[in-house]
Amino acid sequence: MDAGLTPAESRELDQRLQKRQVKEFMNVFGNLVDNCFSACVDDFTSKALSGRENGCIARCVVKSMSTQTRLGERFGELNAAMTAEMQRR
Amino acid sequence: MSFLGFGKAAPSSAEKIAAVENELKVVAEMHSRMVKICTAKCLDTTYREGELSKGEGVCLDRCAAKFFEAHQKISDQLQKETQARGGGFMS
Repeated sequence: MDAGLTPAESRELDQRLQKRQVKEFMNVFGNLVDNCFSACVDDFTSKALSGRENGCIARCVVKSMSTQTRLGERFGELNAAMTAEMQRR
Repeated sequence: MSFLGFGKAAPSSAEKIAAVENELKVVAEMHSRMVKICTAKCLDTTYREGELSKGEGVCLDRCAAKFFEAHQKISDQLQKETQARGGGFMS
């Protein structure tokens, strides 16, 4: 994929990819907040999170991270297979 | 870009880097979309438990596989349909 990049170009690419990773992390974080808030918080008789809501959010975070890991593995496998298939065609 | 019929000029530094970065961007976006959709389809949204149940885990695996298959089929069909309609779909 990086056929024929000079060292300087490689460095530039690495910098860009690092920036992209930070952006990606913020994206994951944002989705996590949106998802767990939407799923867990629905009681606005108070402005503080209830015990129930806190517990739900904590479980949601753990579960979401397990999901990320599992889907990350599947995605890697499937993407590799798809790339190989496309090159075969 | 080719002038005078010499054929394609060598890609510039910026173009090469942009190409790699763009490919990764496309892949990362696909990953992000897949996670969002499969989470919604497979996880118990009441979050009564903090651990993935076996059923949820299997659902995620299958969701990922189907997502990729659908992606490929849609890509192929879109290409066919676009050509059938004279390639003007995306003008």
